[in-house]
Amino acid sequence: MRLKNKSNAKTAETRKKRLLSMLEQQGLSIYENLDKGKFPQFVIPSRSVSNIVYDKKIRQYILGSASAVRSSRNMSQLRSYTQLAWLAFFVNRLVREGKSSTLRDIYYSSQAFSIDFEDQPESDNIIVDLEAVLTSPREEFHIFPEERSSVFGDLTIEYTVPGYEGKRMNLSDHPDGYLIGPSLSSAELVDTSAELVIAIEKGGLFTRFVEEKVHQKFKAIIVDTAGQAPRSTRNLLRRLNNEMGLPVVILADGDVYGEHIAMVIKSGSANAAHLRELTVPDAKWLGVWATDIEKYKLPTIPMTESDIKRIYDLQKDPRYQEGNWKKQLEVFLKLKRKAELEAFSKYGLTNITDKYLPAKLEESKSF
Amino acid sequence: MSKEVFSQISPSEFFYRNRDLAGFSNPTRSLYTSVREFVENALDACDHRKILPDIHLSIKAVDPEQADPKHYILTVKDNGPGIDPEHIPLAFGTVLYGSKFGLKQARGMFGLGATMAILYGQITTNKPVTVKSCSDGKSLDEFVMLLDIQKNKPVIQKHTTKEASKTGLTVSIVLEGDYSKAGSKIRDYVYQTSLITPYASITFEDPAGEKFHYARIVKDMPRPPTVIKPHPHGIDVETIRRMITDTHYQIPAIDNKMIDKVKKELGLKKNLSPKEILERAQKRWSDISKPVRTVISVMSFLNIDFEGLQKIRIDDIDVANKTITYWDFGESQSHAVELSPDSPYYKQIASTVQGDTLLTFLTKRFQRVGPTTAEKFCEFAKFKPDKRIGSMTNEELVKLADALQKFEEFLSPDPSCLAPLGEEPLSKGIMKFFNPEFAAVWQRNASAYSGFPFVVEMGIAYGGDIPPNGLKVYRFANRIPLLYDEGSDVVLKIVNETEWARYKIKGDPPLVIVSHICSTRIPYKTVGKENVADRPEIERELKNALQYLARKLAVHMSRQGAADMAKKRANLYSKYVPLIAQFATELAGKKKEPNYNQLIRMGSEIEEQV
Repeated sequence: MRLKNKSNAKTAETRKKRLLSMLEQQGLSIYENLDKGKFPQFVIPSRSVSNIVYDKKIRQYILGSASAVRSSRNMSQLRSYTQLAWLAFFVNRLVREGKSSTLRDIYYSSQAFSIDFEDQPESDNIIVDLEAVLTSPREEFHIFPEERSSVFGDLTIEYTVPGYEGKRMNLSDHPDGYLIGPSLSSAELVDTSAELVIAIEKGGLFTRFVEEKVHQKFKAIIVDTAGQAPRSTRNLLRRLNNEMGLPVVILADGDVYGEHIAMVIKSGSANAAHLRELTVPDAKWLGVWATDIEKYKLPTIPMTESDIKRIYDLQKDPRYQEGNWKKQLEVFLKLKRKAELEAFSKYGLTNITDKYLPAKLEESKSF
Repeated sequence: MSKEVFSQISPSEFFYRNRDLAGFSNPTRSLYTSVREFVENALDACDHRKILPDIHLSIKAVDPEQADPKHYILTVKDNGPGIDPEHIPLAFGTVLYGSKFGLKQARGMFGLGATMAILYGQITTNKPVTVKSCSDGKSLDEFVMLLDIQKNKPVIQKHTTKEASKTGLTVSIVLEGDYSKAGSKIRDYVYQTSLITPYASITFEDPAGEKFHYARIVKDMPRPPTVIKPHPHGIDVETIRRMITDTHYQIPAIDNKMIDKVKKELGLKKNLSPKEILERAQKRWSDISKPVRTVISVMSFLNIDFEGLQKIRIDDIDVANKTITYWDFGESQSHAVELSPDSPYYKQIASTVQGDTLLTFLTKRFQRVGPTTAEKFCEFAKFKPDKRIGSMTNEELVKLADALQKFEEFLSPDPSCLAPLGEEPLSKGIMKFFNPEFAAVWQRNASAYSGFPFVVEMGIAYGGDIPPNGLKVYRFANRIPLLYDEGSDVVLKIVNETEWARYKIKGDPPLVIVSHICSTRIPYKTVGKENVADRPEIERELKNALQYLARKLAVHMSRQGAADMAKKRANLYSKYVPLIAQFATELAGKKKEPNYNQLIRMGSEIEEQV
């Protein structure tokens, strides 16, 4: 039984307190400015391409020092300034009252306060602005995207959401897995018997893994990323790694997109460069590698032009400049073919869990 | 106050054959043209006597049930000076009996149009014209008459007189017209005429009985134009020939009036012998008027008394051949008498016939020509200054006309014959008609083309009640609206060549331009007189006027832009600052909202950051 490592983890409660304190500070600052007849303003770290840099030390993309001022003094910014102030106000309510919302729900809620967003992309952008101001992911604001991914395995959690406070739950009780939603994201991780986290790209294989009892055979917690992992999922992976000390491995399709799914879990995306604590720097990409395609003689399909273009794009990314990441891109480019995780079915439905997974786990100890 | 001089010059038949030229080509156009002619005559008459015009126009169908084209009764009533009863039959019953031969700006040129309308009405309906006139404010004469087209003579059917209290003229004709087609043009015409004649009150009652009333906007008449002499540059050979003819060849018509005049100037009570008459004339010669001197000279050559004078008509005085030819009514035959150069009256006759010297002719008959200029011109044209103009051959006349055109030292034409509306009345008219948020007017200084003076005045109006349907141009010439043939007009050309974006005007602006060209002769492109030709001098004046006004509009637009921005700011800050305060109060955990009024005020006032 692995217990939570409290010394280097922020509990949900402390994160909530930190957030509420930051919101209050912002509120006080605006309040005082208004009272003194001064124009309040927000300082927002710039998310322009020129201000996104890769930090090798913490192994993720971060924002540089450039920042933009959104001032209520500037007439053209007054509207978006008010939108941002409203969002801070609304998030404050959500967090204090333990309520959850979605991106779409935010867009509609704004209308009740005479905050007129033209469309959802506009409100989504303001949410990213607030993330940047508070350097916190929107999930901490209790704002979630519509899509969800799932988790399954022996992990006991304790809810913090109102009405369920203190209630515990084991995530191996339901074979379909558990949605990584607001209540799971805000729950405290209590304990687990698992020794490993396997993140897998596809729902179909997630179900197969549960059926094959991979969680028992490999003492693993299985996470379905449902494609590119949502932030709440990446945050959970990080907490499982950080708080519970579990290594994270990633299985994705044998193509350039699969490789990048693994990379984003490991070191974040440029889109979320303003955020921290979404990465698992020590996560390992198990496969499917380009070299695996030849090695395991997997059936393949030809790459499309956009696949190939994506390879060229990623070759410019600083994280793909060395090691296995670089090598695999080159092999993909040479093969110009790709294989899906399901390709192992050619050798039997359990081939992937019986043969491939153990082999790769063994291999991973050396990289 | 001077009486207008009437003279009879040409037969009706010519116009009957050329009615298309005069704007009577079809029932639609004819109805419109007739309205114009009568309304413009009425306005001209009032202008001439400085009477604030009060015009009533009505068009009634004879049989409303009938389909167009049909017979209409067109009536125009004014409060002008009226016409002396003795002149009415000739004025309305003959063609080319005009009173507008002087050179000054007027709406119509010769007053022919009204007669044409009467003629058209008579031809299409065989109904007489009714003229009611009161010229003395006491009695009103009513004439009902037809035109005898072949003889160019009025046929009076009825003439009645009754008491009246106000001067004025009412003309009523029956004519074939098509109001369903002409209606919109006529309404436009009345509307636009009211715009350019803000000192007039105009009422139009249409066939349906609907009244369009345009009240007087200004109470001051614009300065009336003065009659002036022609400018040398505006003259052609034919005009010179006419001028020379009516200068030198004034052999007086010998009628009872003239004989009475001669007797009166000589102080004669009874008939004297030819010799006695001449003796009496010698004594008083310096006091006798020129026509009387001529008559006496003729009497001396023919050796006749007044009785004899009554029996003859002088046909020709040929100085070159030294003969006088006359017609004797008593004998019904022609006689020729030798002019003896020895006679003391020879010089009198010769100078009457040969006229003035060229020098005198130039200085007396043209504007802006003094003796110095006239002498310089004679040198330029290689004529002797003392050359008698009556002795000029055809070739010499052509040479003279040509030289008058080419000589460049004549001063520019005198604009006092022009009557622009003036900036104030124009501006008031525009304000009343369009109620714009911005308006500007400008009257340019007088200029000239080919010897004809002209003045451009222009107004521009923006916003307010003007619908945002794009630019609308109202064109006027000598206070007449120009409604047809817009496309080829010089004003439109200038407006279209303007880069409106430079003046902050975009899209379909609520913009009106009023252009008024005044001239003794508007250079119309076509006989229809609806579009002005692009003479470079006129084009330049129009362009300058438009640019000046457009710049003023641009300044307004900038100010308006700034004002709109300030208003927008105020609205935005009033809307958003209270919201920000509400959010911040809850975020900060406070109960009472901050005092943000100061910030709303500051937000509304600060300048846009650059």
